[in-house]
Amino acid sequence: MFGRKTTRAALACALGLTLGLAVAPAHAADTIKIAVPTPLTGSAAGYGENVKAGVDLKLEEINAAGGVGGKKLEAVYFDEQCEPREAATVSSSIVNDEAIVAIVGHLCSSAHLAGLPAYVREGIAAITPTATNTTISTKSKDEKGKAWSFRNVYRDDFQGKFLADYSAKVLGLKKVAVFYENNDYGIGLKDAFIKEAKALGLTVVGEEAYKKGDQDYTPQLTKLKGAAPEAMFIAGYYPEGALIADQAKKIGLNVAKMGADGFDNLDYVKLGGASADNTYLTAPFLVETAGADAKKFIDAFKAKYKRDVDWMSANAYDAAGIMAEAIAKVGADRAKIRDYLAGLDSPEKGYKGVTGVNYFDGNGDCLKPAYVKVVKDGKFVPAEKQMN
Amino acid sequence: MLEQQLVNGFTLGLIYALIAVGYTMVYGVIELINFAHGEIYMLGAFLTLSFISMGLPLPLAVLLAMLAAAAIGVLLDIIAYRPLREAPRLAALITAIGMSIFLQNLAMIIWGSRPMPFPKQALPAFFSEPALTFSDVTISWMQIIIYAVALLLMVGLNLIITRTRVGTAMRALAQNQTAASLMGINVNRVISFTFALGSAMGAMAGIMVSMYYNTMYPTMGYLAGVKAFAAAVLGGIGSVPGAMLGGVVLGIAETLGAGYVSSPYRDGVAYAVMILVIIFRPSGLLGRAVTEKA
Amino acid sequence: MRGAAQSLKYLLLAAALAYPLMPFRDVYVLHVLVLIMVYMVLAMGLNILPGFCGLLDLGFVGFYGIGAYTAGLLTIHYNMSFWLIVPLAVLNGALFGVLLGAPTLRLVGDYFAIVTFGFSELVVLFLTNEIWLTRGPLGIPGIAPISLDVTWLATLLGVDERWRYAFRGEVPYYYLAMVMVALVFLVMTRVEDSRLGRAWLAIREDPMAAASCGVNLFAYKVIAFAVSTGIGALAGAFLARWTLFISPDMFKFWESFLVLCMVVLGGLGNIRGALVGSAILIALGEVLRVALPKLGLPAETRFLAYGLIMVVIMRFRPHGLFTQVAESTMQSSLIKDLRARIAARRTA
Repeated sequence: MFGRKTTRAALACALGLTLGLAVAPAHAADTIKIAVPTPLTGSAAGYGENVKAGVDLKLEEINAAGGVGGKKLEAVYFDEQCEPREAATVSSSIVNDEAIVAIVGHLCSSAHLAGLPAYVREGIAAITPTATNTTISTKSKDEKGKAWSFRNVYRDDFQGKFLADYSAKVLGLKKVAVFYENNDYGIGLKDAFIKEAKALGLTVVGEEAYKKGDQDYTPQLTKLKGAAPEAMFIAGYYPEGALIADQAKKIGLNVAKMGADGFDNLDYVKLGGASADNTYLTAPFLVETAGADAKKFIDAFKAKYKRDVDWMSANAYDAAGIMAEAIAKVGADRAKIRDYLAGLDSPEKGYKGVTGVNYFDGNGDCLKPAYVKVVKDGKFVPAEKQMN
Repeated sequence: MLEQQLVNGFTLGLIYALIAVGYTMVYGVIELINFAHGEIYMLGAFLTLSFISMGLPLPLAVLLAMLAAAAIGVLLDIIAYRPLREAPRLAALITAIGMSIFLQNLAMIIWGSRPMPFPKQALPAFFSEPALTFSDVTISWMQIIIYAVALLLMVGLNLIITRTRVGTAMRALAQNQTAASLMGINVNRVISFTFALGSAMGAMAGIMVSMYYNTMYPTMGYLAGVKAFAAAVLGGIGSVPGAMLGGVVLGIAETLGAGYVSSPYRDGVAYAVMILVIIFRPSGLLGRAVTEKA
Repeated sequence: MRGAAQSLKYLLLAAALAYPLMPFRDVYVLHVLVLIMVYMVLAMGLNILPGFCGLLDLGFVGFYGIGAYTAGLLTIHYNMSFWLIVPLAVLNGALFGVLLGAPTLRLVGDYFAIVTFGFSELVVLFLTNEIWLTRGPLGIPGIAPISLDVTWLATLLGVDERWRYAFRGEVPYYYLAMVMVALVFLVMTRVEDSRLGRAWLAIREDPMAAASCGVNLFAYKVIAFAVSTGIGALAGAFLARWTLFISPDMFKFWESFLVLCMVVLGGLGNIRGALVGSAILIALGEVLRVALPKLGLPAETRFLAYGLIMVVIMRFRPHGLFTQVAESTMQSSLIKDLRARIAARRTA
């Protein structure tokens, strides 16, 4: 039935596949591996680079100081392009490699949700430094109710609510417009913001969506301008946010802008230029008030990468730090690492990192204070008035 | 508000039109959907950035970027598509997709994957200032420049196609390749010229977009390429005036869709308009009717 | 040689069947193999349109998505059994296929291609934006895995037990995917040789001649569309219950191109080619993922190499890896007879 060529090609395929894949788990006894599934190609690769920068820096420091229990820590990067399908493939590869004891990642919520079933089933703990979607909290546990997925980043609902509170109570705004990226992050933020705004009597006068990778936002902005808001909440990331700020200014929508941690990157100011001024954003820590550790980290980061620290790198740096501490305390054992992480359940027991104290609730979510920064003359400065 | 939306939609449409022209010209001569064309558009922007950072003045950098993009377009044809002239059409299509992946990732390796701003210091400051204001409609200088450049390029292109020998050769090729070569037309040279012309136009679109929106990133060619391709088909693929009209129609439809229908369905409005036009005018707005031939 | 090829084929099949039971089996390899099989089903489904009928379809992913969301939503809301969902998903996919197909099949060439593309983008936009139904970009997490409930058999036999097996890990999915590929393959090879398949091929070769021979172009094209999209939806339904998470991101138009590449790479119109094409393109991505870092190249070069390899394959095998005319067709007694007669006439 099969022709000669078919057979030959099929054989070549099978051979290539086994050769390619079988060589993968080369076990080196003197290193302990941490998997970092994150996008390194595709449209989210820039963010993946941020996470990689944070993890690399932390591991470099640990290894320079002698490693963990005499062994070096090694980050194994898995490119998943922020795509759920790729993430599912990568997750099976991670659980399969017994040398890998823990995971820092994924970057995107949808990719994280696609990887979770394998992690929960096979029992390996993951800390995501960046995936903020609320759904993760409900899918992080196995049948026995043990959480396998942790995060040292805010949930979307926390930030959305926080920004609504800040707009109404601190800035005293009455009418705001919401411009959100049509993805899990943007929608999560937008929904929480609008819910809290309603409760506070803050009127949401306009609500528009955009898509990642869009370049022209003028139709939506023109519409929002018609609603005459006092401020605009841009629920999304900084590259699009900068364009939006720029185009808003061009069409004469000169209002205060608000953003969540997705804006916390100095590229926002570089891309947006003068239009970026008067943007309020949430941040897990403020450079000005940060402790000595954080200052050291900020300097080291700048020295190594020649750019300013962003929140993703900072969170990734801490996530890698937490994993390293777990391994140091309980050894390179997947289940024990999870138990250790689950034990970090109060501010007292929590891990003190550069982004503040990291501790987790029963769902693996973290509770961190939030601060507000504002862009002034092309710089991030702490807002004059903080919440509380 | 409607007037402002129309102005903005028209600007976007002209950009689509410039890219669409490249698709349609190549399609006209070799019936290939050149999916790597969106990447040329992206390269145009990045090449300008590189030339400016070498210290060249803006006009020279733009000119060089257009020339370089034209050269890349010609090379693309010679390396990837020419060996497949006699092969089934889909082989060339897959090659085009492969080249698109290749170029996009190459750009990502060369320039990094983060979005980059267009170097502001290279642009005259008045560019982003409003030029004209009628009641609540504002037109910026940048928009006027886009109109001027796009119209100039399109008029020039039309002149090339209708008044020059090489333009006549292009039209002959589009009608019948064999007959054209029998008339002494150097087929490959004309195809190269087509690629060069289309690529230069696409690169110019990329340069103007990166100035207008002040940003460029390696994946920007993907969406713009797809939209422009849709515009080319909408106008009647193979027809140059059709591509221009299709681009403008698509740009305006998209803008009005986002402004008046529903912003999450912005692209949906563009695609729906395209589908409806094609269903009711099966060869596009200005396309020639084709008979079924597989 | 023929005998050796035969025995090699059985050897390969036996190896594939036995692999998940071996002690050295690898979850990652299993996952990739299942993924390959999902794409095999997709490629066989898509192959009908450009391969058999000569219609360029750039929007196949829309139907894959419709199948996946049909399965995902029915599972989440009604906890329906996979075995019930499969026919529903297939029917739903076919229904949308006909809805799209009927008004557009009169279009010619690339106009048809771009309309299918636009339609699949509309499907994805619908999945993204109708949050009340699909949860939008948040995706649908926590889809129950496939389970096999034969408690009815137990009741029938008078045994008071719950005979229920829930799929866990990759192994059961691996075997199920194999069954799925085998079934679709069987159906496709039978169809190819049937009146239906010959009508399709006739349309591809010359629609005018086909029509004048009494082939109802429109009806056969609609059937082709329905079968093709139904198969796409089948793969989607399997995907939803296998990855246990779906989101609109999984159905971007790039997937349509990928499946098209598989079909063309394997050899347009050749069912076995579609199988090999999917195996190559999925395995290539994974092999590069593992191999490039070993060669000291950064992970960022993966798709650079991927694109280049695609170009090189098309450069040297522009007709795909396998010839267009399916072997099964060439072995049909009718064709053999015809060829013999032509040969006889030539010599005479």
